[in-house]
Amino acid sequence: MLVKAGTAKEARVEGRSPVIEARNLAVRYVTATGVVTPVRDLTLTVHEREVVGLVGDAGSGKSTAALALMGVVRPPGQIASGSVMFGGRDLLGLDEDALRAIRGNEIGIIVQNPRSSLNPMLRIGRQIANVYGAHNQATSREGWDKAVDMLRMVGINDPERRVGAYAHELSGGMAQRALIAMALSSSPRLLIADEPTSGLDVTIQAQFLDEMWQTVQATGSAILLISQDLGVIANYCDRVVVLHDGAIVEDRPVGEFFADPQHPYSRSILALQKAASEADAVAKRSDGEREKLIEIRDLAKNFPIRGSKKVVQAVENLSMTIGRGETVGLVGESGSGKTTVGRCLLRLEEPTAGQIEYGGTDISAIARSGMKRFRSKLQIVFQDPYDSLNPRWSVGQVLREPLNLHTSLSTAEKTARIGELLELVGLSPDIVSAKPRDLGASTLQRVNIARAIATDPEFIVLDEPTSVLAPAAIDGLVTLLRALQAELGLSYLFISHDLTTVKYLCDRVAVMYLGQVVETGTVDQVFNAPLHPYSRSLLDSHLFPDPTDRRVDRPDREQLEGEIPSPVDLPKGCYLAGRCPHALERCRAEPQMLHDMGDQRTARCWRVAEGDLEEAGR
Amino acid sequence: MADVSEIQAGATQKRRTDWLFVVGVSIVSLVVVLAAIGPAISPYDPTVSTPTVSMPPPPLAQWPSLFWGVLTGSVEQTPHWFGTDSSGFDIFSRVISAPRIDLTIALAANGLSLLLGVFLGLIAGYFRNIGTEVMMRTSDVLQSFPVFISAMILVALAGRSTTNIVIALALLYTPIYVRLTRSEVLSQKTRGYVEAARALGNSELIIALRHVLPNSMAPALIQSSVTIGFAILLTAGLSFVGAGVRPPTPEWGLMISTGATQIVLGEWWPSLFPGIAISATVFGFAVLGNALERRYAG
Repeated sequence: MLVKAGTAKEARVEGRSPVIEARNLAVRYVTATGVVTPVRDLTLTVHEREVVGLVGDAGSGKSTAALALMGVVRPPGQIASGSVMFGGRDLLGLDEDALRAIRGNEIGIIVQNPRSSLNPMLRIGRQIANVYGAHNQATSREGWDKAVDMLRMVGINDPERRVGAYAHELSGGMAQRALIAMALSSSPRLLIADEPTSGLDVTIQAQFLDEMWQTVQATGSAILLISQDLGVIANYCDRVVVLHDGAIVEDRPVGEFFADPQHPYSRSILALQKAASEADAVAKRSDGEREKLIEIRDLAKNFPIRGSKKVVQAVENLSMTIGRGETVGLVGESGSGKTTVGRCLLRLEEPTAGQIEYGGTDISAIARSGMKRFRSKLQIVFQDPYDSLNPRWSVGQVLREPLNLHTSLSTAEKTARIGELLELVGLSPDIVSAKPRDLGASTLQRVNIARAIATDPEFIVLDEPTSVLAPAAIDGLVTLLRALQAELGLSYLFISHDLTTVKYLCDRVAVMYLGQVVETGTVDQVFNAPLHPYSRSLLDSHLFPDPTDRRVDRPDREQLEGEIPSPVDLPKGCYLAGRCPHALERCRAEPQMLHDMGDQRTARCWRVAEGDLEEAGR
Repeated sequence: MADVSEIQAGATQKRRTDWLFVVGVSIVSLVVVLAAIGPAISPYDPTVSTPTVSMPPPPLAQWPSLFWGVLTGSVEQTPHWFGTDSSGFDIFSRVISAPRIDLTIALAANGLSLLLGVFLGLIAGYFRNIGTEVMMRTSDVLQSFPVFISAMILVALAGRSTTNIVIALALLYTPIYVRLTRSEVLSQKTRGYVEAARALGNSELIIALRHVLPNSMAPALIQSSVTIGFAILLTAGLSFVGAGVRPPTPEWGLMISTGATQIVLGEWWPSLFPGIAISATVFGFAVLGNALERRYAG
């Protein structure tokens, strides 16, 4: 299978002319302290109809390299050497006017953060028309019509109306599509996409990348796709180029790269994927005989909307048990209410209704001041490691706080315990006097974990602890979490939208959509044979870093229509009915119950319960 | 590799001399030094009149030789560098003695309003409720009166004394600090470290004082420099209209005020020198404030 995929790709590249050829490209910055070369010796070729993935850590020079390919360098940088052949000419030898004619016309670029790349003062149709008009002799009427066509092509519903929208009226996914429409308006021969989907939800990300891929296949251009997300790379790229310390360390077809990485750096970024596939072999301890640690019954949380009687229903009748030593994953897209669940469990948010039973006490009913004695046993690690540490406090002070609050150790004992904690999370005790700004994200997240385990808790809510980390750091953190669990007998509620990590770390998983749990089961059950249409779509949209089962090669995709609706005016029937390909009249009319599917699985879909939907085997 | 050198490059750029900062620090230090030793080094007693009345300053051309004469002792009587006023006070001595009273009032008023304002701002931002909102609207109303008029009324009601001036200025500057601190607290209290402190079991009061307060003080501290400058100006202004310190206390505003009546007679010097002193001081504090803001808040 692997070999076949590799050869297929090579065959596709053969006999095609290169679109862009960079040779020994180097970019340098001359500063007061000396010369910095973020890109040195970049040699790279992108062929027609080829998607090349550019991978590397933050600061490895990816974005700088991409800009340099268009002859752009942020001041005070300069292109030190090399050549970029494009359409028979060396771009670096051209004057500014000639370069400008090529940029945007023959080379399009899509940058990160779609919203800030759109001009908030101009309607999107006008912006697309401006880009189009800058390179083509077009009247403003023609430009406007072109914009409508482009928006339709990138899959925006009702383009005639959307073309008159301002950036703030578009959702993140739509803004991103508007940008790709802009970049593609003059049919460039090369499209440079710099982390085009960072910050988008998985279903939207998949929709977007599908469209970009199809558009490029149809128009015959090439893509240079810059991403840290190996899932994106594996599923959409033909070739992978690894950039490390400003130089290319690996340049190979995607199948070979994932099967047998050569450079140590490539191996380190692929480690998590390896670990995750090995985890399949490790039998998950889902025997159901665990001692119950926390039981949640009918938890609900509403947020009132100011100046209106309406409420946002963040969590609705959620019931769940978490066993001792177990890891339960809570997955779903942004706005599904998964973070609110974690916050309600620790009473950082007051639940609107429901009970949370821990150690024989309903901790949702006791007075807030009475929570203190539970705080040492129930802890949380937040998403942003930097934000969750007091910027004025040293690591030592941070770790001393829980000890001061919950233990009666002497000062010397506390100091010893701090060293012990740092060692537990794999950090050197030397960093006790460092402030958060001196440390990197992965170190800070380890400090956060050390703080959470300082008082020997039984249960930790992990609220997307890996979402801001680089792939290599995620690997280390997840390994650490597993080791701590084994050593200290911790239970985790792991909240994440990164299904790769969930698969590796969790025993059971609950899928949330618009505040409801739509499916529960063991990781194997849900990941291998999802029942609910939403879980199917989520898993299908998730880009697992596996080039042997590429999304673009899959014929039938379980795809939801449109985007997540607002959680304010929810439909009467099934919340998914508006987007679900299997929706019937009854789905729209009846609220859905969570059906017991046997084998400790549940699903909130009557068609699944009645066996109407055949299992979508993956 | 690249990261480290980029950070170092950034650091050196930051260390490039900020000339405005240097100017601000120099002026402010001079004022502070004069406040400490001004009265001790003044050639004449600033509150005792001399027999020479309304004497103009010596022409600039004679200053070097006069200065040399003072140093070598060949001139027996110290010249009146800035002249004397209509009561025979030595203007130079009064100008360099004035910072003691002006700066004391300004520092005390600023210190009081900083304490009160940061405290109220923390309360208003962290424990947001109807009570604190009423307080904010009240301070909006207070701020909408011209500061100078309010200060005059307060001093007139309470009586002309240094303490009352300090209290009046402190009351007037408090809303600025309340507002600055409150808005910083509002943004800090949603930060993750506050949530984490709560999850660890800290009480709300402890979180407010130990976590939020230290991280919310920067804007108020930076504003202090500007406020001190304007407090000096306001002190002088109050004296000018007769609502400030009493004569013959050496105070810049008072000096300008007593000199103002003489300007029509061509006696420009009693008002000019204290005027320059006030301008330079306010300028120095304002520039220092700006430079601090660029450094620490930007």
